[in-house]
Amino acid sequence: MPHHEFECSKVIPERKKHAVIKGKGETLADALPQGYLNTIPGSISERGCAYCGAKHVIGTPMKDVIHISHGPVGCTYDTWQTKRYISDNDNFQLKYTYATDVKEKHIVFGAEKLLKQNIIEAFKAFPQIKRMTIYQTCATALIGDDINAIAEEVMEEMPEVDIFVCNSPGFAGPSQSGGHHKINIAWINQKVGTVEPEITGDHVINYVGEYNIQGDQEVMVDYFKRMGIQVLSTFTGNGSYDGLRAMHRAHLNVLECARSAEYICNELRVRYGIPRLDIDGFGFKPLADSLRKIGMFFGIEDRAKAIIDEEVARWKPELDWYKERLMGKKVCLWPGGSKLWHWAHVIEEEMGLKVVSVYTKFGHQGDMEKGIARCGEGTLAIDDPNELEGLEALEMLKPDIILTGKRPGEVAKKVRVPYLNAHAYHNGPYKGFEGWVRFARDIYNAIYSPIHQLSGIDITKDNAPEWGNGFRTRQMLSDGNLSDAVRNSETLRQYTGGYDSVSKLREREYPAFERKVG
Amino acid sequence: MSTASAAAVVKQKVEAPVHPMDARIDELTDYIMKNCLWQFHSRSWDRERQNAEILKKTKELLCGEPVDLSTSHDRCYWVDAVCLADDYREHYPWINSMSKEEIGSLMQGLKDRMDYLTITGSLNEELSDKHY
Ligand code: SF4
Repeated sequence: MPHHEFECSKVIPERKKHAVIKGKGETLADALPQGYLNTIPGSISERGCAYCGAKHVIGTPMKDVIHISHGPVGCTYDTWQTKRYISDNDNFQLKYTYATDVKEKHIVFGAEKLLKQNIIEAFKAFPQIKRMTIYQTCATALIGDDINAIAEEVMEEMPEVDIFVCNSPGFAGPSQSGGHHKINIAWINQKVGTVEPEITGDHVINYVGEYNIQGDQEVMVDYFKRMGIQVLSTFTGNGSYDGLRAMHRAHLNVLECARSAEYICNELRVRYGIPRLDIDGFGFKPLADSLRKIGMFFGIEDRAKAIIDEEVARWKPELDWYKERLMGKKVCLWPGGSKLWHWAHVIEEEMGLKVVSVYTKFGHQGDMEKGIARCGEGTLAIDDPNELEGLEALEMLKPDIILTGKRPGEVAKKVRVPYLNAHAYHNGPYKGFEGWVRFARDIYNAIYSPIHQLSGIDITKDNAPEWGNGFRTRQMLSDGNLSDAVRNSETLRQYTGGYDSVSKLREREYPAFERKVG
Repeated sequence: MSTASAAAVVKQKVEAPVHPMDARIDELTDYIMKNCLWQFHSRSWDRERQNAEILKKTKELLCGEPVDLSTSHDRCYWVDAVCLADDYREHYPWINSMSKEEIGSLMQGLKDRMDYLTITGSLNEELSDKHY
């Protein structure tokens, strides 16, 4: 597996160790990109900071909490609302964001008084909310503000509230991943075991590393509830603060995004003896296997099987409609961390796509191991790419679509490569059987969007071709090379679910299963 | 935390183990690599335990031997093993006509290969980090 040197990064020779091309007959023991290292000066990284990783990715999806940043408003603004982790309490955590608004004078004279005043003000403004998380930022860490002491003071004065302090300023790690790590460990140290939950069933799980992007968590929890499983907590999408204090009472940790949340699962195993089961909520086969495994663990495999059979029968013909039309399309799979391995193999198997490159902005070498293991030969794997490398890779690989975040996504659009938002999604949720069809639908819509007929013409050139071919619809573009049997199939069909596939789940009634133990 | 300092300890390449059933072991290894996640826990001691327990139970299932399910950890290894054994039987039907001894040898070879790729030969510099 030779390392790959980008032309544009020849001036930063250290970058060569961060990219490889998977060669024929080669294994993970031949080459692996470096990962989770400080970004090399001169390389314009696409990473976030450790504060962002702690607050924006993991802390803020908790739904019944005031999330306050102790620092300048800029830090807060950049971590507000840019990821669509919804919740079933009217999206409280998305609607409001809080900052102590630290200014130069506070840097000189200290900002602890300001912090206390802000905490009390926020609780008064939202009297129904009794829980808070506070995040350290670079400025307040550097002046040495003692957030813990202030939080303790407030909890003494207001015994009805509970406050969690996350000490993960921007510089506390090479990337957002440093913040994921810090908040995992801080949560288990400070909060797990401080609430005793009511156990209502025989089968109790924590659902970990799931952030409810556009409803992913609600889709998965719906399956669990249909199986009679009590979800004690979700770490952290749509999760409640007190639920997460009770994580120690689960029988099983079901782990989705190991990148951001394996630390807490490992600690829960060591400290409380709870086993860790890694699952894939994306893709029909991986999801079916995941539900089956959880069912088997609790001796209720039949309940899992009933759900799988029903869902596959309902949604498979729709997935296959898209698969026929996506066959062989080349993808750059460039998400943040875990999706590169969640999706790498299954989008080839179940959607017919071809992954030509994987990258991770903040993943560790472990994520590259998983991702490269799941890719085919010839795939270009890049760690912490910079913008120029991204452009060079697009030029070299000529993908039909890139699945990435919105910053690199907008860059790709400018060179006329369709982009789909892999972080916050376009029209998710993408988890679950129906969600996987929505994902295929969004990929199809992006690749075959009629806009590319126009956007592909460079009108700045004098000899630009004139637009005179007539307008071709998406389906005219996608169906041209299909056989009659596929084109006229009576079983295959396009997505028939609604615009909103999540709200209806909130109304659902679940079967009551008799308990074996009292 | 393993950051810049870890880069200094670049791991050396280790030779892969050889086994008479190498071609078949390649296929079984590739299946795990493409479809499973349990082999990639973050530390070497976890990977050792995962590989040992899950592949032992997979072998017992393939050989029709009893499987220890006495603890919740056993059950957790077992559910991964059941799915793997079922997939092996379906995708590699030649496994169904093997004797117990042959399966035992094959699975030992598979375990050695997995240990090599994920632990002893792995180039992941964070595997020996003492903390999670
Ligand atoms: S790096 Fe520091 S200053 Fe910048 S957003 Fe992160 S916490 Fe704020």
